[in-house]
Amino acid sequence: MIPPEVLAALKAAVGPQWVKDARAELDTYATDGLPTHRSLPGAAVIPGRKDELLQVIRILHHHRIPAVARGAGTGLSGGALASGDAVLVVLTRLNRILKIDAENRRAVVEPGVVNTRLSAAAEPFGLHYAPDPSSQPACTIGGNVAENAGGPHCLKYGVTTNHILALDVVLPDGELLSLGSPSGEPWGPDLVGLFVGSEGTFGIATEITVKLTPTPTAIRTLLADFTLLRSAGQAVTSIIAAGFVPAALEILDHNTIAAVEASIYRAGYPTDAGAVLLVELDGMDELAVEAEASQVEDLLESAGARSIQLASDPAKREKLWHGRKKAFGAMGRLGSDLVVQDAVVPRSKLPDVLDQIGEIGERYSISLCNVFHAGDGNLHPNIAFDQTDPDLAERVRRASTDIVRLCIEAGGTITGEHGVGTDKMHYMPLVYDADTLGAMNRIRHVFDPLELANPGKVLPVHSCRG
Amino acid sequence: MNTPPISGLDPCVHCGFCLQACPTYLATGDESDSPRGRIVLMRSLARGSLSTTEPTLAFHLDRCLGCLACEPVCPSDVRYGTALEATRALIAQSRPVPLVARMVNAVMADRRLRRPLLGLARLVRPVAGVLAGQSRLGFAFGMLRATENGQRWGKQGQKTEKASLPAPSASSAPSALLFTGCIMEGLFSHVHEATHRTLSANGYRSTRVPHQGCCGALHAHTGEHDKAVDLARRNVAAFADCPESVIAVNSAGCGAMLKEYGRLLAGDPLEPEAVALSQRVRDVSQLLASRETRRGHTLALKVAYDPPCHLLHAQRIADAPRALLASIPGIEMVQHRDAAMCCGSAGSYSLTQVGLSRTVLEDKVNALIAADPDVVATGNPGCIMQIGAGLAAVGSSIPVVHPIEILDWSYAMAGFYDE
Ligand SMILES: Cc1cc2nc3c(=O)[nH]c(=O)nc-3n(C[C@H](O)[C@H](O)[C@H](O)COP(=O)(O)OP(=O)(O)OC[C@H]3O[C@@H](n4cnc5c(N)ncnc54)[C@H](O)[C@@H]3O)c2cc1C
Ligand code: SF4
Ligand code: SF4
Repeated sequence: MIPPEVLAALKAAVGPQWVKDARAELDTYATDGLPTHRSLPGAAVIPGRKDELLQVIRILHHHRIPAVARGAGTGLSGGALASGDAVLVVLTRLNRILKIDAENRRAVVEPGVVNTRLSAAAEPFGLHYAPDPSSQPACTIGGNVAENAGGPHCLKYGVTTNHILALDVVLPDGELLSLGSPSGEPWGPDLVGLFVGSEGTFGIATEITVKLTPTPTAIRTLLADFTLLRSAGQAVTSIIAAGFVPAALEILDHNTIAAVEASIYRAGYPTDAGAVLLVELDGMDELAVEAEASQVEDLLESAGARSIQLASDPAKREKLWHGRKKAFGAMGRLGSDLVVQDAVVPRSKLPDVLDQIGEIGERYSISLCNVFHAGDGNLHPNIAFDQTDPDLAERVRRASTDIVRLCIEAGGTITGEHGVGTDKMHYMPLVYDADTLGAMNRIRHVFDPLELANPGKVLPVHSCRG
Repeated sequence: MNTPPISGLDPCVHCGFCLQACPTYLATGDESDSPRGRIVLMRSLARGSLSTTEPTLAFHLDRCLGCLACEPVCPSDVRYGTALEATRALIAQSRPVPLVARMVNAVMADRRLRRPLLGLARLVRPVAGVLAGQSRLGFAFGMLRATENGQRWGKQGQKTEKASLPAPSASSAPSALLFTGCIMEGLFSHVHEATHRTLSANGYRSTRVPHQGCCGALHAHTGEHDKAVDLARRNVAAFADCPESVIAVNSAGCGAMLKEYGRLLAGDPLEPEAVALSQRVRDVSQLLASRETRRGHTLALKVAYDPPCHLLHAQRIADAPRALLASIPGIEMVQHRDAAMCCGSAGSYSLTQVGLSRTVLEDKVNALIAADPDVVATGNPGCIMQIGAGLAAVGSSIPVVHPIEILDWSYAMAGFYDE
């Protein structure tokens, strides 16, 4: 419950219609992109300007009420969830692109700007914002910063943190801080790097200066299909080993192909394949990219590809990609609930780990869909199921834990890009010991001594030492 | 009162891909004004954890345009529109449908009310342009003005060149029955005439069947489910007499509704005929574009085509109207930003949700003005009136017409009708 005087103060700050406290409305804010986790916030506030946001944070700090930032709510780790004693601070109205500086290839945006809208605004200058999470038509740059989001093209271009130059941040006590410098390397520690990926636990990004990247003019997309998922994994290893840095290397397994092909995002993937591998090569020189494409084609063939499609025109390319980018949504057809995994393993271990994941699926007789950034070894074994079946739900839970353990044993970790949030917090002690967790907690306290920023996320407090 | 069950929402995985397609979410940034948020509300209602009397439920569902932009972008194929209709019918049981909507619905459903009232509107129409403006009343006059016959604007594009292609032979002519509707019949009779002429010029035998009436879309969308069923049954019976012919529809909203009759009359004795009717429905642009459209006289006009939501999203017809316009010699198609976004008309929405409707319209008007066309074309009466009034309100004189009218001007100049 949020005390009435606090609600009144918030309403005075942002206007009454932008403070939500009715049960039904809060229901729509109870989950992010991972509906298996739910939490009803005490209230939701939607400030329309930066100064309103600052006021909101100051009011909440004054009353010692926790604040949880929320962008578009597409997060896949239950990060933007607030409990009944906390207030959700929704940043969707702070969606202005403040500056596009084409000459210096950078832009300044408010946190609620949607990823693809930024790229669209940069397009007339031959530029784009490179990190491209599959959720990019919906998610916000603020959310991307908080999760250090990756995407298919981050293999070559780097993840969010490689594209953030400077940040304005409001700390949980209402202090406004500028981190980094838009023109280059700042003095002292890399605070921007620290903030990116902090999942809203250090404060809220209010203004973000990003790098813009020249849009490649020559692009080739190849789609190879394999009888075995394992062979697709091997093809990835051989492409990288041969020294190529493709813009993207993405794998969809048999079950994912089936889901995509049954949806409106049908991309013409062969439904009898064990897996398809999407390879994208890009650059500024047509001939060079063309030559690379034919070399990669040879590699794919020797890795056992049954057939290879090559797309160079934008429409065909987009279609090949569409299936990949909407794969997650298409899984909704397989079951009403979805567990989304995000583990990472060393690339060379991919074929073995994929086999073992398949065995886990069989052991618990559950339907697994693998769709992942193969180039980064970032796996997304997703499980579509029906939560109302308690026996199934339990098997899904156990299978998920087994998969995570498997990846950690292979030398990997629990999250590649979706963050820890609520969902993966209990895995943290599997990868970090109590001292390391304690050190992380102390860093958090530097920014947020009272634990008012997105509390109860990321760090399992009882497992932290010191 | 009967209400259909709320269904079709289960596949929603909360991915958010529909968010940026939704005009109301873009206008407010509030999850409760988004498709995904409304789905949460509707599911709670279906599960019984939320009651229809909860004011915020009705508030956010009332604010939905029903534009269905959220459906084609959904990778899980969530049937938002069907669930919305069912939810509105349920809400209508515990709270009256808004007065303005009820009045509009009553007038449109009943020819005895509609005829004299729309007749009166036609009498006022010649002076509506002078009274058009930004105020509520001025906006209403702007809407009325937009229903005028656009013929005189067509004259601008006149060029002196002779027409091509001879008239097609009438022997094997397929027949098309014109769906006349309510507002189309009362205020857009010139579009019906243009439809008849252009279809005939392209070799269709175009006729009308008696006893047809309003399609019931306004009623279904505002929660008057039973009334919509009544109207559907009447039309199904009226068209059952000529079961072979296609039904030509020139109003996107009516076309979308007619295609839903099979579902609306599920379990009704007339269900088989309703299903058959739904399958016979064609937008007039499809009929014309499906054969090689006869080329008329050159018209040097810059045209911005604004796709009606109930054509683009509900019926998924994107190319036919463009192809039809592009077939007219001399036409230059200009693109405007966010063309696929709703204009805020949405049946009686522009009257019941004035504020949000105008906010949504503002983006449309700005985009169109930036593209600077000679004429805007859109195939739905509500959109013609809404965009027309929106342009008039900011002092723009760009006319808004039905695409078929432009084809008709070109044919008239080519002398196709003098024969
Ligand atoms: C279909 C689908 C595909 C996806 N694909 C990818 C993918 O390919 N790669 C990937 O990395 N992710 C992916 N995601 C996950 C998700 O889209 C990203 O994590 C994204 O960055 C979240 O952005 P958001 O605006 O939705 O943030 P939210 O979900 O609203 O919030 C996420 C976290 O960020 C915090 N936060 C939000 N804004 C701010 C701010 N301004 N300052 C500080 N903290 C803030 C919140 O408190 C929360 O902890 C996918 C999700 C979906 C549904
Ligand atoms: S796009 Fe479809 S599945 Fe995704 S949130 Fe919207 S309705 Fe649900
Ligand atoms: S029908 Fe239109 S207004 Fe309603 S939720 Fe869907 S996109 Fe939004």
